[in-house]
Amino acid sequence: MFRKNSGCERYSFIAGVARFHFAKLILPKTEQRFETLSSTTDRKSTSGTEWAVEAIGLTKDYGRKRALNHLDLKIRSNQILVILGPNGSGKTTFLHLISTVLKPSDGTALVMGYDIRKEALKVRQVSAISFQDPRGFWRHKPAQILSFHASMYGVGGDERKKVVEETLKEFELWDSRNTKFMHLSGGQAKRLEVAKLFVHKPKLAIFDEPTTMVDLDGKRMIWDKIKELKEENGSTVIVATNEVREAEYLADRITILARGEHLVTDSLENLKDSVKGGDIVDLEFSLAIDQALLRMIEGISGTVDFKKISENRLRVRVSRSEDWLPVMTDKMHLLSSSNRITSIKVSEPSLDDVFLTYTGNDPEKE
Amino acid sequence: MSRSELFLLLSFDLREAFNSVSFVVYDWFFFGFQFFIYGVILSKLIVTLSNYLFYYGTGLLVLMSFNVASWSGRRFVESAHEGRLRYLLSLPITRGEMFLEQLLLGMVVNLSRLLPPLFVILALSHLYTPYSLAISLLVLTLVTIGIMGLMISLSVIAFRSFDIYSAIVASLSAILIRFSTINYPLSSMPKAYAGVSLANPVTYGADLLRSAIGLDTSVVLNPALGATVVIALCIGTIFVGIFFISTVVEGVKSS
Repeated sequence: MFRKNSGCERYSFIAGVARFHFAKLILPKTEQRFETLSSTTDRKSTSGTEWAVEAIGLTKDYGRKRALNHLDLKIRSNQILVILGPNGSGKTTFLHLISTVLKPSDGTALVMGYDIRKEALKVRQVSAISFQDPRGFWRHKPAQILSFHASMYGVGGDERKKVVEETLKEFELWDSRNTKFMHLSGGQAKRLEVAKLFVHKPKLAIFDEPTTMVDLDGKRMIWDKIKELKEENGSTVIVATNEVREAEYLADRITILARGEHLVTDSLENLKDSVKGGDIVDLEFSLAIDQALLRMIEGISGTVDFKKISENRLRVRVSRSEDWLPVMTDKMHLLSSSNRITSIKVSEPSLDDVFLTYTGNDPEKE
Repeated sequence: MSRSELFLLLSFDLREAFNSVSFVVYDWFFFGFQFFIYGVILSKLIVTLSNYLFYYGTGLLVLMSFNVASWSGRRFVESAHEGRLRYLLSLPITRGEMFLEQLLLGMVVNLSRLLPPLFVILALSHLYTPYSLAISLLVLTLVTIGIMGLMISLSVIAFRSFDIYSAIVASLSAILIRFSTINYPLSSMPKAYAGVSLANPVTYGADLLRSAIGLDTSVVLNPALGATVVIALCIGTIFVGIFFISTVVEGVKSS
């Protein structure tokens, strides 16, 4: 009857429930939403435009195969946008289009206000991409690669030397700085690919699956560095990934693509809320659950379905627990029963559930 | 700003190209063996040309240029297949600059391979002067650029099919080398062959080099005509190359 518990439990408390408990329950989520709203509407990018990227009917065909189908998407400045999508959804194509590695078949996009068709060089000057597969510099060494990359973006002299050394150390590549690229491990090569963007810190940083092939410690380090890029440098960051944990850790907003179509873009909270019946509320009562109580639960707006787990325990799927719980407690007071709630546990849907809802695919299996 | 980025990229690529000098040394050995063994024996057999050895030697230089040009095209193809090209495409340089960088890279690599053999020919033929050296290098550079532009332009075929590209380049190379004056003069060819050779820009490049070095001009084409064809080839293939690089490589044609 119910989907498996997502494991995203946030609130659990036992007691005779008073209203102020619900205020506590609701407040963090609400505050968080306001914070997101204010930050997205008030902030302007370093370039002065509100939108770092505006894709307008962006389309890409490979022969007869349409990889991206009239994509309309706006990405706010100074945010981390994570693009989720199954394989072949058009994530990489989109990233290659906005970094001008590919030309669109139709439509266009503005990157920091520059048109990718007409001002491709300007686009490349304000943005940089870390590719999915680290390849192509077989005979060069990490120090040379980073130094070259920095110099191409105008970082010169002592500053370049300093920033390359720092980056090599931060990305745990210092000991391998003079090892030829072809002799690096997969994880090292991937870290080097990601590190390129940290030697010049572009206004728009694009990462295509930045932590594939990287071990757990390395993943966390890369995620923290990506967040730092936004927070300390004011960069706008776009990350394409299949990894839900990565998306949850990084994203200010999430875009879901499937079959070259843009399905949705929103904050993680809103996406989770958009899953109908996504919140699971486990209720425990002091007495056995009777028919009157079940009818009351069924009658509350937002109840999707429910199941008796035991004589005095009930699991209810609701659309938004923040709206549902206050109504439920109000109605409990009105019931002329001595039955009381002794425990409430709320689980919200995971990003897996969100992804599943929109695409019908499990992202981690892609 | 952009020009400096072009040279940054060039120095980065040169570091890789000269990471292993074995190919350069191999080319010198190749020239030495061909010239001092094969060339000497051939020159004893061929008596219709006065001193065929140096005629053959200059042909070898053009052949080596051709090989370097083919290497440039193949390298470009490999860079696409290895994922290096997309990185280059994401860098803040124009497509035209990227193409020019490839040409400059080929030129430098070519000169590194051809300078010692050219000295050998000039010295042994007693035709060395600073002028003959400079003008010979200029001609070799123009020939290399022309053929390289052609090869890099052709390399866009490989984005569709590497097999078709390999077949076309192998066939074209065979035709351009055999139906040219790299190894034998026009006057010694059957009329039908000579007709085809006259439509081949490599013929003009090879003969122009012989004129530049100062070899017997009775068996080579008019150098003014040769210079015109070689310069036209350079300009033409540069424009075609830039066009292909800025359109096909970024995938517009696939729409």
